[in-house]
Amino acid sequence: MAEEFLVVKDLHKSFNEFKAVNGVSFSIEKGEIFGLLGPNGAGKTTTIRMLSTVLGADSGDATIGGHSIRRDAEAVRRIIGVCPQDLALYEDLSALDNMVFFGRMAGLNGDEARAQAMTNLELMGLEDRARGKVAKFSGGMKRRINLAIALMGNPQLLFLDEPTVGIDPQSRNHIYENILGLQKKGMTILYTTHYMEEADRLCQRVAIMDGGQIITLDTPYKLKSQIGSPEQVTMEDVFLKLTGRSLRD
Amino acid sequence: MKNLKHIWFIALKDLKIFTKDRAAVFFFIGFPFLFIILFSFLLGGVGSEDERMELHMVTLEAAGGLSHQIIGAMETMDKSQLGPGAPKMVWDRDYDEARRAVEDGELDGFIAFPADFTQALMTGSGTQLEVFADAGNVNARAALNGLAGAISSQIGTHQVIINSSVALMVEGGVIPADTASINTAVQQIMNELFAAGAAGAEASYVTFRTEKVGEVEAENPANFVIPGYLVMFVFFAAAVTAETLVRERQNHTLERLLATSVRRESILGGVFTGTALRGLIQIVIFWVVGILAFNVDLGLSPLAVIILSILMVIMSSAFAVMLATLARTQRSAGSLATITGLLLAPLGGCWWPFFLYPDWLQTIARITPHAWATSGFNKLMVFGADFSSAVPNMLALLGFAAVFGAVAVWRFRTSAA
Ligand SMILES: Nc1ncnc2c1ncn2[C@@H]1O[C@H](COP(=O)(O)OP(=O)(O)OP(=O)(O)O)[C@@H](O)[C@H]1O
Ligand SMILES: [Mg+2]
Repeated sequence: MAEEFLVVKDLHKSFNEFKAVNGVSFSIEKGEIFGLLGPNGAGKTTTIRMLSTVLGADSGDATIGGHSIRRDAEAVRRIIGVCPQDLALYEDLSALDNMVFFGRMAGLNGDEARAQAMTNLELMGLEDRARGKVAKFSGGMKRRINLAIALMGNPQLLFLDEPTVGIDPQSRNHIYENILGLQKKGMTILYTTHYMEEADRLCQRVAIMDGGQIITLDTPYKLKSQIGSPEQVTMEDVFLKLTGRSLRD
Repeated sequence: MKNLKHIWFIALKDLKIFTKDRAAVFFFIGFPFLFIILFSFLLGGVGSEDERMELHMVTLEAAGGLSHQIIGAMETMDKSQLGPGAPKMVWDRDYDEARRAVEDGELDGFIAFPADFTQALMTGSGTQLEVFADAGNVNARAALNGLAGAISSQIGTHQVIINSSVALMVEGGVIPADTASINTAVQQIMNELFAAGAAGAEASYVTFRTEKVGEVEAENPANFVIPGYLVMFVFFAAAVTAETLVRERQNHTLERLLATSVRRESILGGVFTGTALRGLIQIVIFWVVGILAFNVDLGLSPLAVIILSILMVIMSSAFAVMLATLARTQRSAGSLATITGLLLAPLGGCWWPFFLYPDWLQTIARITPHAWATSGFNKLMVFGADFSSAVPNMLALLGFAAVFGAVAVWRFRTSAA
């Protein structure tokens, strides 16, 4: 068994009386791409916010690279990168300014920050627009910048919260390839998405959450096998079978 | 070291965003310039031959009325006896002529006592002084309002004393309890009181508060007008940037910052530093333009003026950060900034010379940091005070800054958790 890089133990978080995350436990191996799936309101983003130390957990704990998110948040922050579900960009600044700024916040010096910014912009196919103002970018370009910023500082663990929402198939494919490239370089990735074929294609294992709890966790192949021939059923079938057809939120 | 770098980069980033916003740049840098140009126009006549402020008074009462006693007591007989900064009081005899003079722009304004002034006071029905001033001349209007306020509060006090003395006399059987006798008694006491005032060298009924009197001659109005607007603009502009932190929260970049190894305090520190940098740019512009274009005199201790200005910037930036942590939305941050910016400025003596405010208003105004700043500048630049006398004002501004800063840190800790 490979080394476990992220270990989550019984995380809980309530907003007022509402239990958004209700006892979540799982672990991710080093170098793995792990899919966190679930209908709207399942608690995926809340889980990621706790793991990235932005939101305090009510109870439970997690360790990332051996550091506890509760007791050693500072050390955790140094080795993670976050691509939030909501675009988190300074619209009035250029793409490059955004990247360099967050690079410096991640502890890079000026030269390192500029060099990494250019590399990551190239990775996202945006090197030509480096000096363009983000406000003038298309939705897909903003998404790619949002992801590129998460790579600044070369984090060991990447949280990608729906990085491909609202972008065209070309950009999406571009992003898949990049993510696979990052994995090759040894990055560990926690990935959430509502595109089931995306999870099937990228993730070594997926967990499906509903109502703040993980209801199943396995490789896409095994999950599909549970309900039929893995060649014929899709992850979408698995998802709907497990989470039901009623609307959420 | 790392924290200081974070603070610095956050401040630079905010400055960079600020420079991309043309409207904001205009508000911070162009607007004060515009204001100053406007002043040179408004104050054009004031600074010419005699720089001393003149306050004119007129009465509509027949001779023998109390208003004659009051004006007589206040009228400046010998100009050389006036202290620096004290206005010259002038008794105009003809109401209509004075009115025409204001309308023609020859006179800035005057205070008129109504025809029934004495009678109204006797019967306790209340009366009103009329302030008639050129609508455009803010300074004259402010000074006249201050004077009218001072007169009425003084008369109010005397009225209470007289009424209670007369009541005692009636009770003690000294005078009979009929209306005619009481009126006669009141009239007599009042006349005596005011006559005593007129005979005395100083007009004791209307006192103007002058904080400290040095060796300064009649002053250039820019010496109190420019600091007033400096205080208002630095504070207002800083308060408006409270939106920065709220915007940071709303566009989710705050969340992103919280997931990096930047400390919470550094984020606040960055917003504070960015705001303070802008404030410093503002005060440099204000003083340079004030000195070059308006001949502003920084007084005996320019160092004290500079320190006071810097403390003003620090206090305003701390206030901005506090506001940012208190406001939930960008809109509420904006309106809170506007309300506090516009409400505290006139109360704190930014629009009208603070030293002309009646005492009670000066006391109330001390709850605003503005009042400490403007009265400090007035001491230094109008009344010729030295460094040491501005120290209390400096300490007060530091105190405000510390309180605002503490609230901000406390709020930010509890709301970000
Ligand atoms: N700050 C908050 N205050 C109150 N309720 C919240 C807060 N954040 C999340 N919730 C609630 O917690 C539940 C889980 O939200 P979360 O964003 O984690 O879901 P999600 O799985 O990411 O959904 P989606 O797929 O729509 O992004 C939702 O019902 C949401 O309304
Ligand atoms: Mg979500």
